[in-house]
Amino acid sequence: MPERLIEDRLREEYFDLLPEIQRVLWQLEAEIRFHTLPILHDLKKPEQLLVKSRVKDCESAIETLRRISEGRQFDPEQASSYSLLDLPDLAGVRVLVFPDRRLKEIDDALRGRFPDWIAKPIPYVEKTRIVPKYFGYCHNASNNVRGEYQIVPMLLGLFWEVEHSAMYKFRAVANSKEMQERRADVERSLDNFEKGIERFIQF
Amino acid sequence: MKKAEMLFAANYRYSFDRDLYVNREVKKAFSLEFVDDKPEEIVRKGIEEATGGNGWKFYFNLPPSERVRQQLEKDLEAA
Repeated sequence: MPERLIEDRLREEYFDLLPEIQRVLWQLEAEIRFHTLPILHDLKKPEQLLVKSRVKDCESAIETLRRISEGRQFDPEQASSYSLLDLPDLAGVRVLVFPDRRLKEIDDALRGRFPDWIAKPIPYVEKTRIVPKYFGYCHNASNNVRGEYQIVPMLLGLFWEVEHSAMYKFRAVANSKEMQERRADVERSLDNFEKGIERFIQF
Repeated sequence: MKKAEMLFAANYRYSFDRDLYVNREVKKAFSLEFVDDKPEEIVRKGIEEATGGNGWKFYFNLPPSERVRQQLEKDLEAA
């Protein structure tokens, strides 16, 4: 009998976990919407607050796990050691805020609700700034599947959606000095634009 | 000279599927992690190392297991 592929075992694990992932996402999204509602109601005219959520899709989850290994190859000798539960972002929520003067307020409100979640901030503008990101368990939804949320300046978040999907499989290019500089230029410009908005608009 | 440029100058090509710098002629491959983590001198030594060209030599932070090595060799020979 041919050996079962690691990918096939992970696909089975994914669909076994899917109802639990969905529960975590609903719980996390609902709590984030609830805890940011007072801020949403207080927004001034040019301000925006958007909550987006997603379940990581099956093949993307397997690919993420595979890309952790050097050579991007699952090791059949370690087959049983691979689990999608190692991924912290099977259920993910992104809070986009424009301009970013509200970011700390939102971060503080959510930190109060998820104080024991592990922080894994994302650096940007050549590591001079960070986007808050956290992962952990919603124990009333699951003790297995972790959720993740991040609070991102809206312009930066929309840029990253395009940039990450274009560069995800091209890490060497993405990590090259030239592309790092270009990415930092865009991030700096978006950051300056938000600062400009804050300076010139009377909130 | 930057490490990636050193590899390209020595006729290595980048495999986007595997995140490896590969030279099929001399049968050597460097992982992205190895190149990122190791100093330039170590990468240079790897490029200059004579391996005889009989079998593939992989420069990884964690040496690949026998089965991973076999699969990588098969894929790199076929590509």
